[in-house]
Amino acid sequence: MLPEAEKDTPTTISIIESTDEDQCLHRRSGRSSPPPPPDASRIRLAVKDNIAAQGLPTTCASRILTGHEVPFTATIVAQIESRLGAELWGKTNMDEFGMGTHSTNTPYGSVHLLEGRSAGGSSGGSAVAVGLGQATVALGTDTGGSIRMPAAYTNTVGFKPSYGMLSRWGVVPYANSLDTVGLIAKEVAPIQEIIQAVCMEHDPKDPTSLPATVRERCVAERQYYPSSRSTAPDLQAQGLRGLTFGLPIEYNIEELSPRIKEGWMQVTDKIKEQGGRVVPVSLPSTKSALSAYYVIAPAEAASNLSKYDGIRYGKRASASDSAEDSDTASSDALNGILYAKTRGEGFGPEVKRRILLGSYTLSSEAVDNYFKQAQRVRCLVRRDFDRVFRLSNPLLENEHDDGSNEQQQFDLSDMDESVPLESKFGPTQIDFLLCPTAPTTPPKLSDIAKQTPFDSYMNDVFTVPASLAGLPAISIPMALPKSEEDLVDFGGVQLIGQFWDDARLLAVAGHIRSKQQ
Amino acid sequence: MSRIPTAALSKYLLQGQVSRQGCLRLTRTPQISARAIALRPAIVSSSHSRSLHTQTAETPLSSSSSSSSAAAAPSNHVPLRKQLKDEAKKAKAAGKKKKKNASNQVVPGWELTVGIEIHAQLNTARKLFSEATTSSNDESNRHVAYFDLATPGSQPHFQKETLIPALRAALALNCDVQPVSRFDRKHYFHWDQPSGYQITQYYEPFAREGRIILQPRDGIAAEDGDGIEVRIQQVQMEQDTAKTMAQPGEMHWIDFNRTGVPLIEIITRPDIHHPATAAALVRKVQILLNAVDACVSGMEAGGLRADVNVSVRRTDDPNAPLGTRTEIKNLSSFKAVEDAIIAERDRQIAVLEAGGVIDGETRGWSIGSTETRRLRGKEGEVDYRYMPDPDLLPVVIGDDLVNHLRESMGQLPDAEVDELTEVFGLTAKDALSLVALDNGARVEYFWRVVESLQSKLGSTISENPACFQLAANWILHELGRLTSNPHDESAQDLGFTSDGECRRVPVDALADILLFLYQHKITAKVAKELLWVVHRGNVPDQYASVADAIETENMWFHELSEEEYAKLADQAIEGQEDIVAQFVDTTGSKPYPQGKLMFLVGRMMRLGSEERIDPKNAEGVMRRLLQEKYVPALGRAEE
Repeated sequence: MLPEAEKDTPTTISIIESTDEDQCLHRRSGRSSPPPPPDASRIRLAVKDNIAAQGLPTTCASRILTGHEVPFTATIVAQIESRLGAELWGKTNMDEFGMGTHSTNTPYGSVHLLEGRSAGGSSGGSAVAVGLGQATVALGTDTGGSIRMPAAYTNTVGFKPSYGMLSRWGVVPYANSLDTVGLIAKEVAPIQEIIQAVCMEHDPKDPTSLPATVRERCVAERQYYPSSRSTAPDLQAQGLRGLTFGLPIEYNIEELSPRIKEGWMQVTDKIKEQGGRVVPVSLPSTKSALSAYYVIAPAEAASNLSKYDGIRYGKRASASDSAEDSDTASSDALNGILYAKTRGEGFGPEVKRRILLGSYTLSSEAVDNYFKQAQRVRCLVRRDFDRVFRLSNPLLENEHDDGSNEQQQFDLSDMDESVPLESKFGPTQIDFLLCPTAPTTPPKLSDIAKQTPFDSYMNDVFTVPASLAGLPAISIPMALPKSEEDLVDFGGVQLIGQFWDDARLLAVAGHIRSKQQ
Repeated sequence: MSRIPTAALSKYLLQGQVSRQGCLRLTRTPQISARAIALRPAIVSSSHSRSLHTQTAETPLSSSSSSSSAAAAPSNHVPLRKQLKDEAKKAKAAGKKKKKNASNQVVPGWELTVGIEIHAQLNTARKLFSEATTSSNDESNRHVAYFDLATPGSQPHFQKETLIPALRAALALNCDVQPVSRFDRKHYFHWDQPSGYQITQYYEPFAREGRIILQPRDGIAAEDGDGIEVRIQQVQMEQDTAKTMAQPGEMHWIDFNRTGVPLIEIITRPDIHHPATAAALVRKVQILLNAVDACVSGMEAGGLRADVNVSVRRTDDPNAPLGTRTEIKNLSSFKAVEDAIIAERDRQIAVLEAGGVIDGETRGWSIGSTETRRLRGKEGEVDYRYMPDPDLLPVVIGDDLVNHLRESMGQLPDAEVDELTEVFGLTAKDALSLVALDNGARVEYFWRVVESLQSKLGSTISENPACFQLAANWILHELGRLTSNPHDESAQDLGFTSDGECRRVPVDALADILLFLYQHKITAKVAKELLWVVHRGNVPDQYASVADAIETENMWFHELSEEEYAKLADQAIEGQEDIVAQFVDTTGSKPYPQGKLMFLVGRMMRLGSEERIDPKNAEGVMRRLLQEKYVPALGRAEE
């Protein structure tokens, strides 16, 4: 049995639950009178269905959690409600457990904003709710691009903060070491407002939430936070003068669509007009990053999803039709394997694929070659970022033993030779990376159906590195040149900053966005 | 073969719950026999004696191959005592009577190698990763946090206080505490494991490289001589599982109170070569853990479980690698450890001598059996897919904490045993039992009695050693008599507490009794009666104090005067001339007739008022008077 939503599938579904059931049904069917005019002064907050809000089901768009209600509210939902007086507007559709790039892996019917086009995933429902103006801000989760990708495909702004900034208590994990709660809105400002309000709050319930002392240490070295010590330059007055943006040369891949590349270059020109400096940079581990991500994330997912057995909560396979398994008549096992029936019926194909992948890469015969190797790649990815950014990573021990701030020699051995050197130490260090969010415009759902899972994994190539390194990243809309074959005239451009440089990243992204319009 | 056993066997593996319904049903045994077997655990758990019955009846079934199995079935209805007798007789006739240690510790031509893993429940107030309290006997499912149930969206919250008993344990085992350790997930599906994985420390445990010294008094095999050192590879923290309670029909009840309760796993190096030494090691670990207050309960209460890895190799080539090892899971008594190792060693040797090969496999053992049984082989092995837990931070342990715990840990059992033997004159055996009894509470009680006696006496141990030796003897032996009545369940527990008090015989009451006895203010007989009075609760219910009881019941020892003793001796000697005659000429080669003397003393006790006689003094008087008076008088009468 599927929930109501699937029975009368409208053309646009972004909302699968709502605090006001009547209103929610009106919206879904589109038959009755429109909902009462919303209170314009309050934030209407849409919440992705893998984030708990007491009183509403939290199903992660999985049959195995049909009707399941987590008996507490996620810290981030409670914070936004209490600090900013937001009104909880409803739960949004997604790829099952966050696994997918197009919000098509869902029993509630796929999500889309443009007819027949992907809305991105896995936080597609949140992005569409914002894109349609139904919600002012939406909460999503970003594990390898799950907020930035939908933002790029729906012409919205999607922000993934530094890992450890927003609490994950009440967020159903996909891959804990990568999962970050993030925000989607039409503009940067509402996101900025929320981040400024909660960025200093440590949540003792989330062991990966950065402690207050560490937050203070991080903020002390950063600008644009309410409690930052140094005065930040006024972007309106000064433009982007003094800021350096890096274009990662490894991101100029074969799969990159020419129109996206053109849009990217146009943004680059805008930045130069504003006084910013743009330089090529090298991130040599980029090529391995996607592979590492697709080892680490499924491994953690396979582990996290072991808990779904239908015993304590969620949906348990019924025994009545297990005729082929006569000697376990009242069991949810299949051929004697514990839980096999429940899990076989409860999970969708992409979830099963990643559980298998993760179980294999953690198995004793493969763990050394896959899981451990991927963790090494992850360290290299982080090192790549640390050496291109001008700011140091506040989580690392001071690498200069004498405490001086002298510039270190850059390891040039694996750097692309086309990157010019700034001095004898190495190339220019930058403030932000600037790159496309996705290699193409939102693909047609009919094309996606023909793709192999591997093709859709390729979509994440630009978003995964920041996730592996836990860095803040934002996708903002960019205009694309007109084209006869492809009528989609927007894409997403991504800015990535050093760890805990979130406030400056948002300020600069907001400025670039304002100059585009 | 289908993979059905994975589910069933993880139960054997993880819980040692052997023949339960759901589990055996999964093995596709025909319906009827499955049901018949499934009935057995119900009997086992229903009464102690019946369980013995079942197991002994089981032995011939499993060990013999031919007709005797048919004959064994009706023996189910033979009364237990008769059956045991018969079996002992049979065994004796077959010449299999169990000999003590000497013969079964070594098999000539073969070397045994054993490594042990011990799981112990830590003595903590809260679970390892949630604020839920730990409880053993509370109502089911009352101490469960969201995380314990693996509620989606909940996260672990490491309770750092659980480190304290864990560190004490590591220090007692002489381990190096690691400045940084981490938690990993160990995956397997079972209904007693809500998250589908156990959080443990696989890659980076919190303690490594310890050692335990075992001495002869610890009960090691004679072949290990003056003692051996067993190295500890590592000690790790991990979560316990839920408790399963099988119900009639196809139902299992799960109690999540135990889910996530902290355990430590202690892994030794393969340094043990004799079965008795393996049992001694487990016993020693239990004593050490209790001594440092790291553990809730011992093996007998299920707070400690052991797995042993056993291999054998021929002794002719000292450079040969160790043989293939098998693992025997879930041993729950010291005896089971020793017996299972002997059985497995003998099985492996038999296989190898017959030209066979040992498979690396997991085996099980039931108390009372003579053979280990195969649970699963390599191909049925669960791949635990260890992964660092991404939600949990590394555990960083500072030197200051370790040093503080080391300094405040108090005396370890070995030092305590030394003190008991040297200062209080206990035998090593008595000292060891005193330290081991009641999970260490008994010896704590002893120290409190010693303390109380010292203040009552106003003197030190060295001035009155006899008084304190008396205390040790009484606490070991006389207190034991109080619980020796098997028909009185309520009397079985003296109610020792970990801080050294005793509910049934308070420290102060025992010290009073011992003091009066030592000072000859009461007789030993009265002292023993008083112990029962205290045990029954008559002090303080009926009498305000021990002294008050003695006073009220007029039990003070008013000893006879010298003259009264002499008068009593005169009475006792009357008409016993032929006895007295035997004391004539005792200066010669003839041994002194001590038995006759005691007969005469006995007469004194019967004729006089017993409560006023000290047998020792009566003996002295009688001996003197015989020599000075009665024997010479006899001579005169003959003249």
